[in-house]
Amino acid sequence: MKTNKSLPYLFIAPALLLFALFTIYPIFSSFVLSFQSMEGGKYVFTGLSNYTRLLGDDIFWKALGNTGIILIVQVPVMILLALVLANALNSQLLRLKGFFRVSFFLPAVTSLVAYSILFSIILQDEGIMNTILGFFGIDAIQWLGDPFWAKVSIIVAMTWRWTGYNMVIFLAALQSLSHEVYEAADLDGANRIQKFFHVTVPQLKPVILFATILSTIGTLQLFDEPFNLTKGGPADSTMTLGLYIYQNGFKYFDFGYASAIAYVVVLLVGILTFFQFKFTGDKS
Amino acid sequence: MKRWFSLISFALILTLVLAGCGGKSANETSGSGGKEVVAWAWNINVPVLKKAAAEYQKENPGFKLKVVDMGREDVYSKLTTGLQAGGKGLPDIVLVEDDRFQGYLDAFPKAFLNLSKKGFDKQEDKFPEFKKALLSKDGDMYGFPFDAGPTGVFYRTDYFEKAGVDPNSIKTWDDYIAAGKKIKEKVGVDLLGLDFNNDDGLFRMALTQQGTFYFNNKGKLNLTSKEAKKAMELNKKLKEAGIVKNTVGWDASISALAEGKVASSPSGAWLSGSITQQAPDLKGKWGVFLLPSFEEGGNRASNLGGSNYVISATSQKADEAYKFMEYFSTTDKVQEEAMKGGLFPSLNTVYSSKLFTAQDEYFNNQTIWKTFADEMKDIKPVNFTGNYSVANSEAVKAVSEVTNGKGVTDSLEAAQKRLENRIQK
Repeated sequence: MKTNKSLPYLFIAPALLLFALFTIYPIFSSFVLSFQSMEGGKYVFTGLSNYTRLLGDDIFWKALGNTGIILIVQVPVMILLALVLANALNSQLLRLKGFFRVSFFLPAVTSLVAYSILFSIILQDEGIMNTILGFFGIDAIQWLGDPFWAKVSIIVAMTWRWTGYNMVIFLAALQSLSHEVYEAADLDGANRIQKFFHVTVPQLKPVILFATILSTIGTLQLFDEPFNLTKGGPADSTMTLGLYIYQNGFKYFDFGYASAIAYVVVLLVGILTFFQFKFTGDKS
Repeated sequence: MKRWFSLISFALILTLVLAGCGGKSANETSGSGGKEVVAWAWNINVPVLKKAAAEYQKENPGFKLKVVDMGREDVYSKLTTGLQAGGKGLPDIVLVEDDRFQGYLDAFPKAFLNLSKKGFDKQEDKFPEFKKALLSKDGDMYGFPFDAGPTGVFYRTDYFEKAGVDPNSIKTWDDYIAAGKKIKEKVGVDLLGLDFNNDDGLFRMALTQQGTFYFNNKGKLNLTSKEAKKAMELNKKLKEAGIVKNTVGWDASISALAEGKVASSPSGAWLSGSITQQAPDLKGKWGVFLLPSFEEGGNRASNLGGSNYVISATSQKADEAYKFMEYFSTTDKVQEEAMKGGLFPSLNTVYSSKLFTAQDEYFNNQTIWKTFADEMKDIKPVNFTGNYSVANSEAVKAVSEVTNGKGVTDSLEAAQKRLENRIQK
């Protein structure tokens, strides 16, 4: 019957409508906006001027550099940590597995703002972190006031939040690994560490790639942590592309320029994902 | 049968979706199309508006005001989004702070009601010069002046006494720093708390005090002026004297005051509200003196913060909103109510009221409100320009650099250069 064939489309129509309205339309409209500038309260086409302006914008390059540093340090540390945790929680010897799994995953579902505020309290000059360091005779560190430590704070906060999330992805993958390979490794006399690096990690390769891509994209869009913890300071040392897009739009009323930066982020995500697939993906 | 069932389900889902959308748009248009006048404001401004509306209703029975209480940043985000969408979803009346307004006026020149054309000029004399300047463009006024932030140094009378410092002897910023060293030595607390990495409040106060700002009065960048250098030097000297407590964020700065960890705080008059609320037990231990000047006998009046009401140009109730806001801005009774709520009015006819001449028990029986009221006429107008936000971000950076050891002139020149690049677009 004819109607039966078109019916599924009718069913997905509402979702499609919303998707078109709130996802596809903004994507196109911000692309158009990135070629426009506001003059006297009206948008006019200014060609590539927003993009050429980017090239000479120190803050943009600084934000890109910061994002790069955070990416290079944070993503590998977090992925490794998540792998180790997942492996430990998958162990037959561990009791209270459910409790540990929930505990590690919990940060991923807490409100971004709430956790950022908590971190900002912990990292105050006279906060818990410095008090604890004081017990070990370490001088107070300006966690949010020093350009170097502010970056460290952002990385620590992000790692706290996202490690559990990646751990759950790895856990799921670990459980689908076949037992026989491990038995074979046991027979060959492999120890735990050898098994981890030579049996577990190679088998998890596609999942690790998936998690790395997700984390990379997430880091390129990093906004909440610097917005709530440091406002991009001190002196732009924690300015990220996401935060700079927001500031250009909502603080400086320059939505055209903000859109141009957003499209640079899109381009970067595309390129990075391509390389990650190319170098780590399955050859078959 | 099956087919009908499917079709009905589809119709149901579609209705739900459309109902969802419909509800939203109805809510949005209530801003300008509904029966009541809608205002967006935050925090302690809300009760003042509500009380004023209740009073106004007595003589204007048909009038109805709906005040939407939102966070300050939320008001700006929603206002920006609404203006961006050509005035859709905006209320009739919005509260906007002093430093932000020219930015909005610049980016959205037709977004706000021209009050001069409505006849607000006849009320002009009731407000200080600096407020009128920051609300005007090409000679016309676009906002109703509301509260102001005349500055002063809030100080702990007991700490000063213990250290043997007479607040009346502090006439210049150098005196202030010397006093700070004495207090640190004798009492063991820092002179003041500042957030050198994220805020340039002291820099802004010191600029306004000298009658200039990030920009000069003609709107030209002015960060390398001798005034700017002096203001920046002040930050550096304070930091190097080792009498500043690093307080990151508003909460930390207020708790430093409430917990007695700092001896003073140069700030706007509005700080009194926070101190009295957060530290009721410190009653009688606080006092206020005017900001020290850079040279003896120099200007001691300055301003930090303050806000104004504007009316959306797309408002369908512009007339009603205008009449109410004119009443609100120029009625002594309303402004006294604001004063009680911790908002220092800029309407000068109210300063003769008892509220302003009386002694304040919390502040060691000083007549601090008279001090602030007298200061108002000496506050020099400064030019925020439409580029305030960009300039502010660079100034904050410069303060952070200077207090981390960079040279004052180097840092200001670099900031000026970066700004020249960012502003020309």
